[in-house]
Amino acid sequence: MADISSNGTTKVLVGGHYQVAKSIVSKYPNSRSAVLPLLFLVQGIEGHVTDQGMRDVAGILGLTPAEVLASGSFYTMLKKKPTGEYLISVCRNVSCAHRGAHKVINALSERLDIDPGAVTADGRFELETAECLATCDGAPSMQINYEDFYNLTPESAVDLVDRIERGETVAGERGETVRTQREVSYETAVAGARLPGTAGDIEARTVGGESPPEDMKAGDRPKLRDDEGTHGG
Amino acid sequence: MAVSQALVVRKRLVEVDEPWKLDIYENTGGYAAAREVVTTSSPEDTLEEVKASGLRGRGGAGFPTGMKWSFVPKDIFPKYLVINHDEGEPGTFKDREMFELDPHQLLEGMIIAAFAVGASKAFIYCRGEFALGSRRMDQAIRSAYEKGYLGSGIFGSSFDFDVVLHRGAGAYICGEESALLDSLEGHRGQPRLKPPFPAVKGLYGQPTVVNNTETLSTLPHIFNHGIDWFRKWGSEKSPGVKVFSVSGHVNNPGNYEVPLGTKLSDVLELAGGMLDGNAPKAVIPGGISAPLLTITDIAMDFETLQAAGTMLGSGGIVFMDHTTCMVRNALIAAEFYEHESCGKCTPCREGTWWQVKVLERIEHGEGRQEDLDLLLDMCERMDGRCFCPLGDTAAWAVRSNLQLFREDFQAHIDEGRCTYETDHRTLVGARAIGPGDAGVTPQPSEGIGSDSEASS
Ligand SMILES: Cc1cc2nc3c(=O)[nH]c(=O)nc-3n(C[C@H](O)[C@H](O)[C@H](O)COP(=O)(O)O)c2cc1C
Ligand code: SF4
Ligand code: FES
Repeated sequence: MADISSNGTTKVLVGGHYQVAKSIVSKYPNSRSAVLPLLFLVQGIEGHVTDQGMRDVAGILGLTPAEVLASGSFYTMLKKKPTGEYLISVCRNVSCAHRGAHKVINALSERLDIDPGAVTADGRFELETAECLATCDGAPSMQINYEDFYNLTPESAVDLVDRIERGETVAGERGETVRTQREVSYETAVAGARLPGTAGDIEARTVGGESPPEDMKAGDRPKLRDDEGTHGG
Repeated sequence: MAVSQALVVRKRLVEVDEPWKLDIYENTGGYAAAREVVTTSSPEDTLEEVKASGLRGRGGAGFPTGMKWSFVPKDIFPKYLVINHDEGEPGTFKDREMFELDPHQLLEGMIIAAFAVGASKAFIYCRGEFALGSRRMDQAIRSAYEKGYLGSGIFGSSFDFDVVLHRGAGAYICGEESALLDSLEGHRGQPRLKPPFPAVKGLYGQPTVVNNTETLSTLPHIFNHGIDWFRKWGSEKSPGVKVFSVSGHVNNPGNYEVPLGTKLSDVLELAGGMLDGNAPKAVIPGGISAPLLTITDIAMDFETLQAAGTMLGSGGIVFMDHTTCMVRNALIAAEFYEHESCGKCTPCREGTWWQVKVLERIEHGEGRQEDLDLLLDMCERMDGRCFCPLGDTAAWAVRSNLQLFREDFQAHIDEGRCTYETDHRTLVGARAIGPGDAGVTPQPSEGIGSDSEASS
């Protein structure tokens, strides 16, 4: 596979990354199901979902880039612009709001000198408000790169930023170390995949185009997506 | 009388260290039920047992689990089992906890369910934001494969069963089962027209059973201890125990597992009572989609809450005291729905957007008297006219705040300001608008899905 795409940009999902992409696709009876994990893979490599990454995903799955964009743009965790290395998502929903989430958001906004939704000039932090993170027992709560932080005060939230900025290792409520945004995106991409050369590696199924459900028996009606007519989007 | 929990699904994770490890799971009785079912029972008997237990879905709708399984056609293959672990209903955090701490319990329940319906492949749709849960489940699946509890011929039987872990990517609507299937197929997560229901035509057009994490985590216990044991709790129509997530203005927020039909006041006592000994002003009984309650002397089961005009929903209970501004509470809900509306149907896409506009205006002290009836009218026009329950529940949530606490809304209009301690700028998060912007002419293009850069 050439590393340069027809428009001259360097391809993202090549070499080792292509092998990983193949093992992700092999999880599914129908390759299109791999759209989101493959976009996470692109995000894990590039830092966000790049246009070339989307073209590569389209090429691997036998879709058009527009179809890949249509699916990917629906989801908040897939970022189409460069994001911060550390994404801080503060819950703004009911339990957290009634226990002072706005003070935490304000303090972080001031400390980072950005509004929610923006990235700091040095690219290290992005601040966002999030809907309920299923951590209401620690309200007000937030995630940094999807690790949970509980019972925040404006001071404790700012302190976490200070520590990350000083290069310290920071662990969340359940002891998990905060990883970088690329690391967690990559991890999300390969969740449940058995990577080549690791224990549990499974033989990759055909990559490209539709493959029938593996457990389909002879004589079964083929039930691929397009004859369903069930989706309106 | 001191209230205590009835620990079933949460027993191991309360009493045992590192319950997510396979050896610990097995030392505490794990995989015995699935082994017994797969090696000695038949799919028909297994299905009958679940029907007889009266188990109802814990994902929100409370649909009888055995009945759902019985809709799956016998002669069409392949069939799929899909686990709904997209928990995003505000105020709910029970699935996250049991999945992180006790993943094998869910896998065991999945084996039983798959055996009963004849599915040889299952997908776990795990909410994208749940990094730790996904890590733990990935490891649990690996160790179950190594032991032969998953894969071909599990427990030495002729039953093959594969499990695939799949991550969502941030969209509440993907918790709705048909939107979840579209998402799992690689599309935008938008609900499908029903019927056909997933049991008949689901994933890749094949018969598919979609069940919630808690629903299937309950199964091994029913098979270990029997139907009479399970039915000793709850009522005829709502048997068994249920995990409630309790948060808000309480002393000890957390998950509490109690018999269905337990008084809400007892659940409050388990959670340590209200902060500062205050009285509850309002209670969300089953996730933000469930209309509010103003009493706590009520039995927490499916029938009683429905009769009271609300629902048990996801089991997410949020207590609020007198410091809570109910306009703000309604606005939080409205913004949530506006952000999460998938954009497929007009009443929801436009209605949630307008709800936010009018509520912002009131909260910012620029409400007009006629806005109150305008809001009620909007809710009326949304309720029952939306394509899926998200839009309907958006109407319920706003309406119940306004109907039960009209005086809070009236005070905002009379005094031209919010009468509670609040902070306008961050109240609306990334979509902050300053005073004076509240009455801007709405642009109808907003609210479709969401682009990545704003809030999540
Ligand atoms: C907007 C919306 C969001 C939902 N979110 C969830 C969810 O996060 N988890 C869940 O299990 N069910 C959710 N449901 C309910 C599912 O559609 C479905 O009823 C459930 O997964 C079935 O499983 P059960 O029968 O085991 O409860 C949601 C429903 C709607 C309408
Ligand atoms: S009610 Fe809302 S979420 Fe449901 S289909 Fe319509 S727009 Fe989408
Ligand atoms: S409301 Fe903030 S985590 Fe649930």
